[in-house]
Amino acid sequence: MKFSKIALSGLLIIAAITFQNCSSDDDNNNNNTPSPAMKGDMEIKFDHRWGPSQAPFALDNTHTHPATGEEITFTTLRYYISNVRLHKSDGSTHAEEESYHIVDASATFPKVHVKDIPAGDYTGVSFLIGVDSLRNVSGAQTGALDPAENMFWSWSTGYIFIKAEGSSPAAMNETFTYHLGGFSGENSALREVYSSFGDADMRIAPDALPSAHFMVNAARFWHGGISLGEMSMVHMPGANASLLATNFSGGFILDHIHN
Amino acid sequence: MYFRTQGPLRWLIAAAVFPLLIGCRSDDAHEEPPKSFEGFSAPAHFPAPVYGFENNPVTEAGFELGKKLFYDKRLSADGTVSCGTCHAQVHGFADHNIPLSFGIEERRGMRNTPGLANLAWTPAFMWDGGINHIEVIPIAPLTDSTEMGHDLAALISFLQTQTEYPKDFETAFGSSEIDTRNLLLALTQFQSCLISAGSKYDQWLTGRTNLTPAENEGREIFESKCASCHSGVLLTDFSYRNNGLDSIFTDEGRMRITLNPEDAGTFRVPSLRNVALTSPYMHDGRFRNLMQVLDHYDSGVKQSATLDPSLSGGIPLEDHEKERLIDFLRTLSDYDFISNHRFSEP
Ligand code: HEC
Ligand code: HEC
Repeated sequence: MKFSKIALSGLLIIAAITFQNCSSDDDNNNNNTPSPAMKGDMEIKFDHRWGPSQAPFALDNTHTHPATGEEITFTTLRYYISNVRLHKSDGSTHAEEESYHIVDASATFPKVHVKDIPAGDYTGVSFLIGVDSLRNVSGAQTGALDPAENMFWSWSTGYIFIKAEGSSPAAMNETFTYHLGGFSGENSALREVYSSFGDADMRIAPDALPSAHFMVNAARFWHGGISLGEMSMVHMPGANASLLATNFSGGFILDHIHN
Repeated sequence: MYFRTQGPLRWLIAAAVFPLLIGCRSDDAHEEPPKSFEGFSAPAHFPAPVYGFENNPVTEAGFELGKKLFYDKRLSADGTVSCGTCHAQVHGFADHNIPLSFGIEERRGMRNTPGLANLAWTPAFMWDGGINHIEVIPIAPLTDSTEMGHDLAALISFLQTQTEYPKDFETAFGSSEIDTRNLLLALTQFQSCLISAGSKYDQWLTGRTNLTPAENEGREIFESKCASCHSGVLLTDFSYRNNGLDSIFTDEGRMRITLNPEDAGTFRVPSLRNVALTSPYMHDGRFRNLMQVLDHYDSGVKQSATLDPSLSGGIPLEDHEKERLIDFLRTLSDYDFISNHRFSEP
């Protein structure tokens, strides 16, 4: 499966290059890196999966946890992706402005659209799962950070970085609620994900929409065999929130890119 | 802004001595004729405010809109409770002498409603300091099921369908499209202007009046026995302390926010401004009057691991000292603040 994907993405890259070549064969500079004065967009796609086998995952479907054998049904899976950066081979990076997004597993194709990136070849992408500490202490915010998104604690100011809710016969009261956050101190739940694109660079150019495709393993919350019986309610910053955030962030694996 | 008032209280306006204009400054270097509304202005004898106003300069339209929202019961889920229901001007914006306030459907919260004053100088809000920024305060009461019980998105669409609010937001923020941010900014313009700096004590501080011998005696006791925590012109150092109310904590106070056991049973030292008007007292409103508070410090302090070390032996007070202290605490009442029509229900 893995092999075929790599082969497939390789094919797509070849196809893309070929396509570029034919579409603009009157342009001599075509094979050079596009000028950074030009801008392009890219997308990060989040494909929610279940377990290391990357089995299909869907809200309202019952999944069996590969390690604990517990049955788990999600009703909600939402999280912040912020501070998206694209990295170049020379170590420089481009940081998206006002980079705050909510990824919601209920969307048909959960993704983050990153705009206005200087054209060029990039070697990797990084982002935070959560909201940087500054925006947690800066008062009224808009866009993805609008408190009306219900990803905000009103009584102990701060954003809920990751919201996972659902049911399980193993959980207390048969429901689980994970509202994970905490932007400071040893229990900070802010996590960074960095992924190199590997051998193939991502080419940002006007009129192109390359994408980075992440597999997100929703079973990772219970990594290491945590039972829902032990942990069914986490609704404030603390050691448990921090642990669950570490586990979940470990479930983000870059699968392939499309150019 | 200058506080205007009527009748015998008029002389009290002198309190706003040489206000230092912070917000709403004209960019124009030339002197402009004075306007009736001058935005936010800090009293000269106050420190610099914590809230910067850079992103939210106070304007007359914004302040008036904030006031209208503050007193509008339709902001609650069932239209029965406004901010002003629990925060009553006559009580220094505390509740009407009840320990725990009633929200929608007569539901009760877990803490006593504090008076509101000088919020632009406050670094963290609520008894436990859980709210870190003045602009986001209203989210808690608007959405809490024991207060106004509303959903923010539903509230925004409700406001949008009213005839007057889109116009008001247009005038205040240049857009009739209402969003959470502008709702919060308007409420913040109003609440940040709730400045209490006109008490008899302020006038004494600025050399404009004398305290009576009894009040002065009380002030001296206060300075030696209370001002280590209730310090400075704001009458609090904003630290979190356990003043010995309990040895077993039903409300963990600051620890609820920090999860640090060393914070168990500690609460933000409250400002004592308008304290004679805001009974009952403490985070759960357990003491009906100031004498009970002083009896507590004198002989009721309970031991526990987090008790503030300075209170381990209580604060011994003779009966006459208690009376003098109360005389002094009454000088903290700001009658201009509680009667100024600028802050009153429209
Ligand atoms: C049902 C009663 C109730 C209503 C309605 C209410 N409040 Fe409060 N308010 C409280 C209580 C109780 C507290 C203290 C809560 C705590 O410390 O946990 C409080 C605290 C505050 C504080 C913090 C003061 C400080 O010094 O830390 C502010 C500011 C405030 N409220 C503003 C508002 C605004 C604005 C509204 C309307 C959007 C509002 N309140 C509606 C009861 C109420
Ligand atoms: C060690 C710090 C400390 C000292 C000293 C101290 N207080 Fe307090 N005071 C507090 C704290 C903390 C609270 C809030 C406690 C709570 O509600 O749990 C408080 C609450 C109060 C209240 C209730 C205010 C309200 O709005 O409910 C009054 C009145 C008061 N103190 C008066 C005094 C007086 C008078 C003295 C001197 C005799 C004094 N305090 C000394 C820390 C202190």
